[in-house]
Amino acid sequence: MSAAVGDVPVAAGSGESDVSHVRREQWRELRKSKTFLVGATILAFWIVCAIVGYRVVPHTPFEQDLLRTNASPSTAHWFGTDQIGRDVFARVITGVRVVLVVAFLATVLGTVLGTALGLLTGYLRGWVDEAISRFVDALLALPLVITAVVVIAALGPSNVTVTICIGVIFTPLIARTVRTAVIQERELDYITAARLRNESALYIMLSELLPNVLSPVMVEFTVRLGYAVFTVATLSFLGFGIPPPTPDWGDDIADNISVVAAGYWWEVLFAAGAIASLVIAVNLVADAIEKVTDE
Amino acid sequence: MHRDPKKLDQLRVGRSELENHVIDEFVAGRLSRREFLRRGSIIGLSIPALGATVSACGGANSSPTSSSAPSGVPKAGAKLRIAGVVPTSAINPAQIYDEGGLTMIQQTGEYLSFNDPKTNILKPMLATGFKPNADASVWTYTLRPGVTFNDGRPMTADDVVYSFKQNTDPKVYVDAASVFNGVLTNDGVKKIDDQTVEFNLEAPNGNFSYLISSDNYNMIIVPNGTDYAKWQKTFVGTGPFKLTSYQANSGATFAPNPNWWGGNVLPAELQHIFYPTQQPQITALQGGDVDIVNLIVPAGAEGVLNNPDYTLLDTKSSQHRELSMRCDKPPWDNKLVRQAMALSLNRPEIAQALFKGYAQLGNDNPFAPFFRSTDTTVAQRVQDLTKAKQLLTQAGLPNGFTTDLYTEDYQEIKNYAQIIKQAAQAIGININLHIDTQATYYKDHWLSGIMSLVDYGHRGVPNVVLTATLAKGGAWNAAHFADSQYDALVKQYVAALDLSTQKQIAGQIETLLLDETPWICAYYFDSLSVCKKTIGGVVTTGMGQIFLSGAGPITA
Amino acid sequence: MAVYILKRLGLALITLWILSMIIFWVGQQLPGDPGRTILGNLATPAGVAALDHKLGVDRPIVTQYTDWVTKLAHGDMGSSYSFQAPIRPFITSALENSLKLALVAFFMCVPLAIVSGVIAALKSGEWVDRAISVFGLSLLGLPEFVSGVFLIMIFGIWLNVLPVGATPPAGADPFTQVFHLILPAIAIACVLFGYIMRMARAGTIEALNSDYTRTAVLKGLPTKTVVRRHVLRNALLPTITVVATQVGYLIGGLLVVEYLFHYNGIGSLTFKAAQAKDFPLLESTVLTIGVVYLVATLIADITYTLLNPRLRLGGDT
Repeated sequence: MSAAVGDVPVAAGSGESDVSHVRREQWRELRKSKTFLVGATILAFWIVCAIVGYRVVPHTPFEQDLLRTNASPSTAHWFGTDQIGRDVFARVITGVRVVLVVAFLATVLGTVLGTALGLLTGYLRGWVDEAISRFVDALLALPLVITAVVVIAALGPSNVTVTICIGVIFTPLIARTVRTAVIQERELDYITAARLRNESALYIMLSELLPNVLSPVMVEFTVRLGYAVFTVATLSFLGFGIPPPTPDWGDDIADNISVVAAGYWWEVLFAAGAIASLVIAVNLVADAIEKVTDE
Repeated sequence: MHRDPKKLDQLRVGRSELENHVIDEFVAGRLSRREFLRRGSIIGLSIPALGATVSACGGANSSPTSSSAPSGVPKAGAKLRIAGVVPTSAINPAQIYDEGGLTMIQQTGEYLSFNDPKTNILKPMLATGFKPNADASVWTYTLRPGVTFNDGRPMTADDVVYSFKQNTDPKVYVDAASVFNGVLTNDGVKKIDDQTVEFNLEAPNGNFSYLISSDNYNMIIVPNGTDYAKWQKTFVGTGPFKLTSYQANSGATFAPNPNWWGGNVLPAELQHIFYPTQQPQITALQGGDVDIVNLIVPAGAEGVLNNPDYTLLDTKSSQHRELSMRCDKPPWDNKLVRQAMALSLNRPEIAQALFKGYAQLGNDNPFAPFFRSTDTTVAQRVQDLTKAKQLLTQAGLPNGFTTDLYTEDYQEIKNYAQIIKQAAQAIGININLHIDTQATYYKDHWLSGIMSLVDYGHRGVPNVVLTATLAKGGAWNAAHFADSQYDALVKQYVAALDLSTQKQIAGQIETLLLDETPWICAYYFDSLSVCKKTIGGVVTTGMGQIFLSGAGPITA
Repeated sequence: MAVYILKRLGLALITLWILSMIIFWVGQQLPGDPGRTILGNLATPAGVAALDHKLGVDRPIVTQYTDWVTKLAHGDMGSSYSFQAPIRPFITSALENSLKLALVAFFMCVPLAIVSGVIAALKSGEWVDRAISVFGLSLLGLPEFVSGVFLIMIFGIWLNVLPVGATPPAGADPFTQVFHLILPAIAIACVLFGYIMRMARAGTIEALNSDYTRTAVLKGLPTKTVVRRHVLRNALLPTITVVATQVGYLIGGLLVVEYLFHYNGIGSLTFKAAQAKDFPLLESTVLTIGVVYLVATLIADITYTLLNPRLRLGGDT
């Protein structure tokens, strides 16, 4: 994943008004981007589903019709029914809630912790930086999914575990980006000036540095969000998600993949399509934001 | 029936009281022919003797044989490829407890007798015959002469005694402890002479011969002194096959044993291939990569279930799930609440949804419908939501309650648990599901969960489930059920020798359990295997064992 | 140069050491008792305690860790609890299988991704570029199990042209083996394709805009020659690094893909060990993955440095 992080050039200037001006410029750019519009529309659709999905679906995602199991798509069940006769359409529409909420919270957690860590290591440097870097290197020597599987096997699967696990793994990744940005910033005049004014390190980090590294943080956030959706879905596919019967795309795919060969394709195809559309949407948005802040 | 009293009298000479009792029951018409053959085989009447009795009573003299669905005579020399599941642990015959493991040990290992799945009748294997004493507390087994292990050593009583002593060793973990607990101790196994072994039981047991037959999958006979932990290096046994190679995690290959006591072995080679799940097994069968899939569940197997290109081997089995409710903890300590839960389930629909009908309904007791001792006159429990709600109100819980159900992610259980949750919802019980990996569930929740849903494999007689899961202090009593009347009835049942007594006590137990409902069993599902229609002679058991010495290509 | 390599090597060793401690510590947190795992669910507590003592898992964690590392240094990975057999053969055969899968994925994906990236860059801004870019971006975000499910449905079930099980029949020839690996390899390669394609595109664009390219064009060299001589060499350099750094990522993808396609590789072995709470096996698989990743990164670093004289002194990160 480190490749996606890269060293994002910092677009922000050195003063408060510059920052807000640049923001407005970027927002205008963004709205013109087709990639952004397509991504944002799909994303908005899923956010709406996450909020009102349970209330608008024609069947609840829980009700079972044991005599109509594995029924193919029809007017009564648009996406057919699953192995215990539940409406697949309802499960796909409502299934987005778990993924979005967990992915969002995990990314927020990772961004907050990562930004704090990045500010600290970037501003203070020295042995703290060195020690943390080594530890982070060790953690990053393992692929995210492997780390998550090991940690969740140890702690027991639950939404909270998954959220914290992903958030904590994201922390060093985000910290790296922030640290790079901070290192570039800290040599600039306004920081030197603040230091000469005898401002405390905490003040400098929060009031001076933070607003000026928000751009890369923002980019990181959207990129990470896409990857969080990716990871949440993968973990629930592996059986580490929310317990059933709560609709959950990854889990529903894992449960029904065994009957696809018997011809019941609808039980996994729609959920797979839903995951694909959601991650692609988030990635399109992230890509557009990255491009805008790059220029 | 044309009786021949003279011939019958000759047959009775030298028979034990128990054997004569069975013959009496048959002569009196209280046992059907089929039933007589089965009962007779349990108490050690030899197959010729059984046949002679039947013919003396005017029946057709046909010895019971296993019927395998396709007709035609299997040809020798085939290489058979069998899809199985990955054994979950090392192949230690005394410790394996899983489908993959038990299939492995019975490829080269054999039992004293074989429980024929089609008839539920014991057939001689390494023992040619056995006899109980008058109250069935001492059983004497005569061993088959001229049997050699596949490493060349001859099999004698020493080997049988050693194998049994190892499997009843109280100091180490042995899987068969669940069977032998309260039945047979280490000291109860005695060598009489080179061809005779005697079992002195802790208490009379009318079904002991079943308990040490192929139903007790661990009980293969190994040479005296064998290190069970290292058995997987040699697979030493007396069976029709011997090991060529075993690779944990991927598969095993076997070659015919030229010195097998049973004569010719048809296949030239067996190749067992391990798969983690069913879907790739089915795909491999359809793609021609394997010839047989041992044990399938109907979900996802639709492509081969009703397909004329494949033969379905359907064996009635007592494998089931037990949903236990803690009888010692509120709210489940009130039997009305337990009854309400049991009444919420629509069993025919569940059997249809989960097993496409390849299952029989359970009535919340260990007596599977096909056990001969089952009292089938006890009414089947049916869904009744109104009554269930009444019961909850009566129990002081008119608004229902919230509880937790712990279970394992295994076969259809995840779906079943969700069906249970939904059914309970209808009567106001809100169940939170906790579905863990098998390792976690068994360690942390199985016997302690307030509601616990666990899998049980096939057994030929209900004894183990009766005692271990329901008797006071039973090793697997997840419901923490303790009822002195029940315990007394089970004791009587186990000691009972003749079928009518067994059936009568069974009826009482069934009625008692319907009232108490410590656990819910909604279904007993069939043991299904599938093979190409061009393959015949495959014998599978309700346990999941697969016997292939007589299997090969057939022309339909 | 030698100093630089030694420094990288030293850092990798330190990382490995820290990693081993983290893994060991996390492993200790796994629920499930080793004795219980071996003896099965029905064993008596006394039997379990006796076995725990025999295994030495009741000793202080530091002693256990030192013991473990000492044995590892002698090539002894210990015994798996659930298989009750030495771990090493499991790891070697799983690693070999994963390597086969990874190689098939690499050879299918890398050339195609680089060519697509370069084409997109040369046609930058045109519809070809946009199509390739959006396609790559879409693949990039797709979890392997989702693309795997699509592939199984399309090629394995509807068209029925490719096997959906990655494990070939025993004794299969190399061709059959590769044939069975095609679907899982594509599933892995999808994400990789997105990355490499984007890197190749970005690298090419950067090289196209660079001074030396402009100089070459001004000198009147034909476009093809410029691209071949200057652009490609400079554009591919970062791409090579990406390919190497993605090795770790690739292994993460392997876990899911091997699980989905039922393939006995290092990923599915790790998953199995985690599910069975098989602590020694889990430690070994995870550490193996860490070593593979560190070695690959080291090679990438060194190759990059060798190819790029400007970077010989090593950067900040």
